[in-house]
Amino acid sequence: MAREFKLPDIGEGVHEGEVVKWFVKEGDPIRENDPVVEVMTDKVTVQIPSPVTGKVLQLRAKEGEVVKVGATLVVFGEAGEAAPTNPATAGRPTIVPSAPPKASAPPPPPSSGEALAAPAVRRLAKELSVNLGALRGTGPQGRITEDDVRKGAQTPAMTPKPATSLAPPAAVSVRPAQGGEERIPIHGLRKRIFEKMAKSNVTAAHFTYVEEVDMSQLVHLRDHLKEAAERKGLKLTFLPFFIKSILGALKEFPTLNASVDDERGEIVLKKYFHIGIATATDEGLIVTVVHDADKKDLWGLAKELERLSNAAREKRLALEDVLGSTFTITSLGKEGGILATPIINWPEVAILGVHKIEKRPVVRNDQVVIRDMMYLSCSFDHRVIDGHVGAAFVQNVRNSLEHPALLFVGLE
Amino acid sequence: MVRQVDVLVIGAGPGGYPAAIRAAQLGKRVLLVERDRLGGECLNYGCIPSKALIHTANLVHAIERATERGVETGPVKVDMARLQQWKSAVVQRLSNGVGQLCKGNGVDVLAGHASFTGPDRATVRTSSGAEEIAFTDAIIATGGRPSDLPAFRFDGKRVLSTKEALELPRIPLNLAVIGGGISGLEIGTFYAKLGTRVVVIEILDQILPGTDPEAARIVGRRLQKLGIEVHTKSQARGWRVDKDQTVIDVLTPEGLIARRADCVLVTVGRRPNTDELNVDRAGVEFAPRGYVKVDRQLRTSNPHVFAIGDVVGPPFLAHKATKEGLIAAEVIAGHPAELDYRALPAAIFTDPEIATVGLQEPEAVAQGRKVRIGKVPFAAIGRALTTGEYDGFVKLLADPSSNVLLGATIAGPDASDLISELSLGIEMGATIADIALTIHPHPTLPEAIMESAEAALGEAIHVLNR
Repeated sequence: MAREFKLPDIGEGVHEGEVVKWFVKEGDPIRENDPVVEVMTDKVTVQIPSPVTGKVLQLRAKEGEVVKVGATLVVFGEAGEAAPTNPATAGRPTIVPSAPPKASAPPPPPSSGEALAAPAVRRLAKELSVNLGALRGTGPQGRITEDDVRKGAQTPAMTPKPATSLAPPAAVSVRPAQGGEERIPIHGLRKRIFEKMAKSNVTAAHFTYVEEVDMSQLVHLRDHLKEAAERKGLKLTFLPFFIKSILGALKEFPTLNASVDDERGEIVLKKYFHIGIATATDEGLIVTVVHDADKKDLWGLAKELERLSNAAREKRLALEDVLGSTFTITSLGKEGGILATPIINWPEVAILGVHKIEKRPVVRNDQVVIRDMMYLSCSFDHRVIDGHVGAAFVQNVRNSLEHPALLFVGLE
Repeated sequence: MVRQVDVLVIGAGPGGYPAAIRAAQLGKRVLLVERDRLGGECLNYGCIPSKALIHTANLVHAIERATERGVETGPVKVDMARLQQWKSAVVQRLSNGVGQLCKGNGVDVLAGHASFTGPDRATVRTSSGAEEIAFTDAIIATGGRPSDLPAFRFDGKRVLSTKEALELPRIPLNLAVIGGGISGLEIGTFYAKLGTRVVVIEILDQILPGTDPEAARIVGRRLQKLGIEVHTKSQARGWRVDKDQTVIDVLTPEGLIARRADCVLVTVGRRPNTDELNVDRAGVEFAPRGYVKVDRQLRTSNPHVFAIGDVVGPPFLAHKATKEGLIAAEVIAGHPAELDYRALPAAIFTDPEIATVGLQEPEAVAQGRKVRIGKVPFAAIGRALTTGEYDGFVKLLADPSSNVLLGATIAGPDASDLISELSLGIEMGATIADIALTIHPHPTLPEAIMESAEAALGEAIHVLNR
């Protein structure tokens, strides 16, 4: 008996996923819990295991294809069974594993073949030149709301154009450059990065403020604590100190721990502190999140950072490990360079870039001395953060980094 | 002297006058040309007068049947002349109202016959001569008129159209109706209730062809009770005069029969009014069967000429013409309007009334489409029993997977008033659960709608769930 396996609802707000990689081919035998497919959503990449033992009859999506939640991904059968000839297998039992009961897959749209939208919504769509058929309704039964139409009007229509309109006509011979070219399809995480970076760049009014920090005392303190950390089996980097420093500044300047709800035209001040850490992986940049960072001590932060870093490397990140940051730090460590203009992790309103620490000659009491120096590059959404507020925030961070005793007092 | 206007609207019926008013509201200089009376056939010779008369007949019928409830009256006598006077007053009042609305909105009205002389030119023949009109845009809203049959040509005396049948000065003793469709049955029932012996001849196998057969059966039973003789699958072959009476020959499945009647009402369809328009001079093309060809914005093959209502084809409904008129006016004003209604309701004023909207069961069957159906008889509804009018049912059709409401059929008391809840539901994308969960006040007829939504979900209280 063939069983359709549908893309389960893997988390709040996730409507679709991109098939990154199939681990099986049609005709392969499969055991329950063997990995079947890797699916990337705009939040996270997940490996989906097989719910059955049997045979892979049919793969219904190609690598790189975007599949809606509830659409059939793969058809399983018993060994020796042939693939169903008719893909329309309505009425057959289907398995939707691991979907939380509250967030079940949405039912298919009505078979009327027309978008469900009230008359006033349809009129608005005409006025805004929005194609209702291309929208996904957020109302009950997929009804399209006025909000959906307004949102649809903001995102430019993704009209697929025939490739020929972009490529030169075949008759014109273009001599390939020496060494040739390689064309890499943009999908998976890279596609998310494309979208997210562009969105941030066109939405937020970026300005970057750079300040120099004397890290000598903190370098000393870290060296001092390194041994204690090792005894706890922890690797102590500068990151936990940066987080502590930022937490202190965020409590002083609450508008920095915020996001912009552009659709509703509201600034959302967060009363919780989830610090995102921009993390490089082989696939590309992701932001891992230390939840409730203000409730953790230095060791707790170090431990959580290590866990996230390992999970990212081993591709074991859970959805909540990459969701919900309220403020993001980007650090390139030893490759940190002098300064940068970081792009905000939209819809947050600020991002702090930390750079390499190096010994530089500086003037102290009219004497040139050698100190451990570092630059901080902090980008703000100027729509929300005025220049003097951003500057004061960075000065606050600088102050606690230069006088690290401050990191451990007065935070409550 | 050429009169320059932004929008020329030809025909002041339920399509034309709203189009003219909306165009004026949107800042256009509008000229509305009407050859007869403001309000068109609907207001003057169709919907409105027929409803005035049908309501009166229902009143007479109700009084006659009130004895079973202890109401004693003498024999009810109807003074047809007085009734016609009253009906005319109602019509006159409404037609005057249209004139005032046009005036109040700055629409110029011209009495006369319009015809095109070019793609942006028309001439209007008035009582005082001819007037040349240069227009930027024009709307053809000339409507249609009843068709007759080769063997039964309208003569206004013995072979009548609906217009004349609604203006009879006396109640006929015998009336033959050719065509068992909507207007034939409406007028036939009206006269039967006033005491006329009525015979209905329908060529197809069902009265109210195209209507849900269950609904048509309810009406058929009532026709029988009223003593109306109905012949389906039958054809009126011709007529002759015998002793000052009209005799018609009818070929029934059982053989040829003859029926006597004072007059014959022919209700076999409508044809578009385009004969005098010279639309070809405006570069306007026809669709098959003489209708004007339009797109979803009601634009003809001349991009500055629009057509709305009966002239663009069936269904012949006043409210369809009105909607089309408003859309045409908005398109002319540069709005991105187009025909996009999901629900086109229809009301039939038979006894009992039938009202429909959206997908109908026979249609679903023909399309092989699976639907979820909820049906509740009015006999299960307290309010219907208290009025004594409880023949009929509410039937809802929904998508079986999403429960989204697709259509409704109501046969029964006040069906024409009840249907709009379901039209709104369809336009809003309501599910039958939305309807079932909405409180309907007790005791009222719309409870039947709630109950049938519950029935479709297997949750009905007042009928047994199948």
